[in-house]
Amino acid sequence: MSRLYLVDDDQDVLDSLNWMLEGMGYKPETFLSADSFLAKVDLKQAGVAILDIQMPGIDGLELLRRIHQQESPLSVIMLTGHGTISMAVQAIQEGAMDFLEKPADGDKLLSLLKKASETTEDAFKRQQLKLSIIQRLALLTPREQEVMTYVLAGKLNKIIAAELNVAQRTVELHRQKVMQKMQVNNVAELAYLMAITKP
Amino acid sequence: MKFPWSNSSTLEIERQVYLRRGTRIGLKVLEQAKRIILSVALLLFGFICQADLAEASDGTRQDYGEEKRKYTVGALAFADPDVVYQRWAPSLSRVSAQTGIELVLIPLRPDELVERVSKNALDFIIGNALITVALKKDYGVSHLLTLVPLKHANPEQAVGTALIARESLEINGLKDLKQRKLISSDPNAFGGFQIFAGELINRGINPFKDLKHLEFVGFPQDKLLDHIVKGSADVAILPSCVLESAIAQGRLEVGQLHVLLPQVHPGFECQTSGSLYPGYAFSKLGNTDHQIARQIVRSLLDIDELDTEAKLGRYRAWSVPVEDSQVFNLLKRLERWPFVTNWQRLVERAIPWALVIAVILLLGYFHHLRVKRLVIKRTQALSDEMTQHKNTQKALFEQQKQFYRAQRILLTGEMASGIAHEVNQPLAGIRYLAQGSIYRLGDNQSELRQALTKMLQQVDRAQNTVKRFRQFCQQPSVYEACDLKELIEDTLNLMQPDFNRIDLKPQLFLWPLTVNVDASLMQQVFVNLLRNALDAMETSPDPRLAIAISNDSANAIITFSDAGTGLSETALKRLFFPFETSKANGLGLGMVVCKRIVEEHGGTIQAFNNQTLTAADVIERDLNSHFPRFNMGLSIVLTLPLTETK
Repeated sequence: MSRLYLVDDDQDVLDSLNWMLEGMGYKPETFLSADSFLAKVDLKQAGVAILDIQMPGIDGLELLRRIHQQESPLSVIMLTGHGTISMAVQAIQEGAMDFLEKPADGDKLLSLLKKASETTEDAFKRQQLKLSIIQRLALLTPREQEVMTYVLAGKLNKIIAAELNVAQRTVELHRQKVMQKMQVNNVAELAYLMAITKP
Repeated sequence: MKFPWSNSSTLEIERQVYLRRGTRIGLKVLEQAKRIILSVALLLFGFICQADLAEASDGTRQDYGEEKRKYTVGALAFADPDVVYQRWAPSLSRVSAQTGIELVLIPLRPDELVERVSKNALDFIIGNALITVALKKDYGVSHLLTLVPLKHANPEQAVGTALIARESLEINGLKDLKQRKLISSDPNAFGGFQIFAGELINRGINPFKDLKHLEFVGFPQDKLLDHIVKGSADVAILPSCVLESAIAQGRLEVGQLHVLLPQVHPGFECQTSGSLYPGYAFSKLGNTDHQIARQIVRSLLDIDELDTEAKLGRYRAWSVPVEDSQVFNLLKRLERWPFVTNWQRLVERAIPWALVIAVILLLGYFHHLRVKRLVIKRTQALSDEMTQHKNTQKALFEQQKQFYRAQRILLTGEMASGIAHEVNQPLAGIRYLAQGSIYRLGDNQSELRQALTKMLQQVDRAQNTVKRFRQFCQQPSVYEACDLKELIEDTLNLMQPDFNRIDLKPQLFLWPLTVNVDASLMQQVFVNLLRNALDAMETSPDPRLAIAISNDSANAIITFSDAGTGLSETALKRLFFPFETSKANGLGLGMVVCKRIVEEHGGTIQAFNNQTLTAADVIERDLNSHFPRFNMGLSIVLTLPLTETK
């Protein structure tokens, strides 16, 4: 299960929410300010954050903005005492998963948290995959990368050989190396991986 | 009936009088006017001055008389002063020659004569019996001699009156005269009017009220005869003997005219219509030296019937004073009604006064008009100003009222919002705890689950109430295009008294910039910010405040910078949180209201302590170099989105 973070400047409310979530089986980490959250939490990891909007210093929306800027896989659920439509729209645009009015109903929050867990895991996995693909790509020599580009363009070995002005056998060897380094079995898989890296 | 020529002939005579004295009426009028104006002016200097002046002039006159050693003789003259002069001058020359006393003869009209006597400006008088008696009575004039007339031996019976009419007209008594057209020369004429008037009064007739057709036509007396002959009047009132001498001189034929109610007096050669009275008298004024009088009287008594002087003077001789009780009676009778006013003379005298009064009145009236105009003008100006002032005041008051109303509503809203938030937090806590408890319940604890579920419902209910309350207190905003400069200036106007109190003139860097805002809400923001700034400078010896409008591509930027006490770092952090205040009786909602309003407008609000400002801060980037940088206090930066004009 992914980590769960709670941020609220009101200690009592924070504890209460913690108590409820513990009742649901979660083990949340609580923070009294955005600063302490930013100081302790690794934004690269998967996790779910429930943020209060009204806070002194860096407020909930500002924190959301920073999380978003870091391209964190965190799923963020915003909570507010009295939200306005413009605030909600702003939050969603900044990448929040949902915007709830305080106090959030436990059942509703539970289903939302499940979804958020999945989302953050997916995001984390995708990010991990993306990272490994980038690592794999880094192993390729420039010639191998060149050959890969032609392969992805759907060209046959002999055409690639002609265009690169090398022997067809050489192209075949490069192609084999690419498949090996990228850890794929066929061109379709390779195309799928490359599609993931494209934003 | 009117005689146009008769009036003009009287005027002619009058003019001659003045011409002979080298004075024109006009000149005299002018002279009198001058004198009057002078005396009016003198009045302003006070009575003492005036009295001194009068005394001085009296003195001069006396000196003048002493120096010349002349004695003045005033002779009564009704008509032509020349005639009077020529009548008495020879006799007086003779007296002068005999006694060596220099005499000056002055013909005077009755009023002039009385005036001079009253001023003691004459030494001797030649006048008719009536005026002599009157002067004797009023001024102590001494009757010295009586004239013995030419034709009648008795000096007591020298003058009578004769009512002359055409031969065809006959009357039975004086009463019949009431319906007749009567003419006389002058109301002061003795034989010509006053004796007749005495007769009328004797019979209970008022000569002025009862005689409806009485008219005074002036001198010469022959003119009256002509009127009768022509038929333009019925009866002429004349002294006795006028008709007889006219007939004797051949100017009238016998039988043409006759005397009405004729009476014959033995020894009196002419017909009369009443009693006879003594003739002219020679008198001296009280203060005239009796030695001189004695010499003159002696010399006059010397004049004989055959002397040229007597002939020229148309008299027989001078005699001792006669008994004049009859004249006294006549005077008494006449005094019961006032002497007829000689209107013409009165008018003539009154003209300068009237002119002066008219001029003064006119000037007064002009002054009054001017003052009135000024008063109206000033009143108008004043009332205009007052109206304007009132309107300004009203507008300001209205603005203030509106502002306070808006503030009240806003504060209520904000308070509701603040309370809602404060209540909401524990409610949220309760709900979380309750629901957390439910999650911890085992399957056999259904009773507790039920109770806790109900608890959730109660919390939700409380929250709904709070939410509804908040919504109710919130004011819908009205957005409109609005000039920021105008808005800030209006706000400063509204707060002028607060600025005056600490003697602060804000430095303004404003220019017109249109934004789409709710003006009254924005004004709330400005007032709150300004009030905070003023409060922060309450005890400052050198309060300073700067306000600037600037802009970037998307936002209008308004900066309020004060040189007040500033804020601690923690206070600065919690500046925009409700119920956070450093003021003893503040609610801590002002800045919350500001933030909420600004954010509702899609803008931002930030606060900076001036001493920690760095060049990287937004305030430093956007303001021009003239904007003052205080090394203490607080700067608030507002941004408001600039919308494209629709």
